[in-house]
Amino acid sequence: MSNDATTRREGAGVAPEHSDRTFWGWLCVWAPYTALMKLVTASPRRQFIILAAFPILWVLTQHLGPMLQMLRVSLTDAYPVAPGVEQHFTFDNYARFFGEQIFWQPFFRTLIFAGVLTFCTLILTFPVAYFLARHVSRKNQMLMLLLLLIPFWVGEIVRTYAIMILLGNTGAVNLVLKWFGLIDRPIPFMYTSFSMGVGIVYLTALYMLLPLYSALEKLPKSYGEAAADLGAGAWTRFRRITLPLTLEGISSGCTLVFLISTGFYATPVLLGGPSTTVFAETIAGFFHVAGDEWPTGAAFATIMFVTAMLLTGAFQKLMHTLRKGDTK
Amino acid sequence: MTRGNRILLSCIYWAFVLYVFVPLLLMILMGFKDSKFIGFPIKSWTLDWYLGVFSDAEVVSTLTYSVVIAVLSTLISVVVGTWIAVLLEGRKFLGRAAIFGLTILPALVPGIISAIAFRIYARLLGIEPGMGAIIWAHAVHNVPFVALVVMARLSTLPKSQIEAARDLGADPIIAFLRITLPYLIPAVLGASIFCLLLSFDDFVRSFFLGGYEPTLPVLIFAKLRSGMSPEINAIATVALVLTAAIGIWAERFTRRTNKDAKP
Repeated sequence: MSNDATTRREGAGVAPEHSDRTFWGWLCVWAPYTALMKLVTASPRRQFIILAAFPILWVLTQHLGPMLQMLRVSLTDAYPVAPGVEQHFTFDNYARFFGEQIFWQPFFRTLIFAGVLTFCTLILTFPVAYFLARHVSRKNQMLMLLLLLIPFWVGEIVRTYAIMILLGNTGAVNLVLKWFGLIDRPIPFMYTSFSMGVGIVYLTALYMLLPLYSALEKLPKSYGEAAADLGAGAWTRFRRITLPLTLEGISSGCTLVFLISTGFYATPVLLGGPSTTVFAETIAGFFHVAGDEWPTGAAFATIMFVTAMLLTGAFQKLMHTLRKGDTK
Repeated sequence: MTRGNRILLSCIYWAFVLYVFVPLLLMILMGFKDSKFIGFPIKSWTLDWYLGVFSDAEVVSTLTYSVVIAVLSTLISVVVGTWIAVLLEGRKFLGRAAIFGLTILPALVPGIISAIAFRIYARLLGIEPGMGAIIWAHAVHNVPFVALVVMARLSTLPKSQIEAARDLGADPIIAFLRITLPYLIPAVLGASIFCLLLSFDDFVRSFFLGGYEPTLPVLIFAKLRSGMSPEINAIATVALVLTAAIGIWAERFTRRTNKDAKP
């Protein structure tokens, strides 16, 4: 890279002789610009520093910064600090989490919920992805995938509201059931874990569908045909070929959906009830009231983040070993 | 792959299409109901709710507010994301993996935690809750998507083009502006539209970082908490039509440019 830069600088010096009068030709010979360029390209090292300084600064201060500040606040006893009050280092905020049932119960509920819903999403979208990738012609694949993409551009709140209308006491599902004479009185779907589950699956299905689809699409059809020729039944083919070779898609889809479903706030508030409080609502509660609850909220958010990262990390590791074991 | 199998799978696909579309269609339909109460059956129809939306000053100003936030935050995300992509793609240096990991971090943090972290950090930076805070949070949150899309496109740029430009006397900046940047335009535009939609649809960050003025999703949420009404359906439908139209247009656009780009 180093000798490249020197030859190029000599090259840049030649450019003025061409004296074309386009903007670029003019820029090349404009004295302040050439002076600046000499400064910038003085050495490959300087060139790299100029290119790298801003992105590195940005990711450190804007991407990592908020997480670190959250961690720091979670270890203090007061934030924002009132004048005249001294801030102390403490683990009390973390201790509070384990001390009270109203705190850890929503936490475990959220994890179990997210896990179950991730599995439901996988079961629901796998046949759809399989159909699209294996049974549809290339041209129609794109159209049929696009058809599914349209509703997913619509925001979280609007789609949550759509589910509220679908499942309400005078909603479409109850209307249809009544119409068929299956029920006399509407079933109260709303404000239960059922309505919340339907809502969250509705919001996250695409994040499962796309990784599954791209994994299935890469899988050559001939593998299945070869296995069939050798006498493998449909179930064996699925278990021994399709499943192991799409584990990568399954693993990234599940990770995405799990992380997204643990983070929902508005959907559980609107679709859930008092018995389905999720941890996001618990965390949010500390930020609606006076500022001195912030450290607890920060601690709880940190607990959730670390747990979610550890779980998805362990899951990916597991899928990785499964994949290795199968391709041996 | 028997015939029965295929028919069964196709039924599942169309059932899924119904599952995805029916709730939204019902919601749109309900905005035309001539009654204050949400629910079936619909006995008479009206356009009043929609007319009401466009004459409601609050809704119109909220819509403008959301669009302004989306545009400004997208501008920041696109510049920063592209810059990061140019640094990371095809370059080897100490700590590259760490920088890449940090770049995609905001996309991995679950919604509520990201909103809380931004809320706390905004206080540290001295940003008051309100428009500036929302723009900043959306911008940071969307950077990873821009960086990933632009990196994917950048990896397909033939190195020889840059080398040719440099041999002909272009300095790194001119080579970037005249070769790399035009090549990246489709990816940058696609990523911008994705960011616009993400920002426009975002609830949790707007909710925790907003001041008194709500963005459109926050307004719908607030109205929903005080009860459902066809008025909300009309507002939500306007938001839906806007986002879906932009989304479809963007999809067609990126498909067309991708086709053009193929040799």
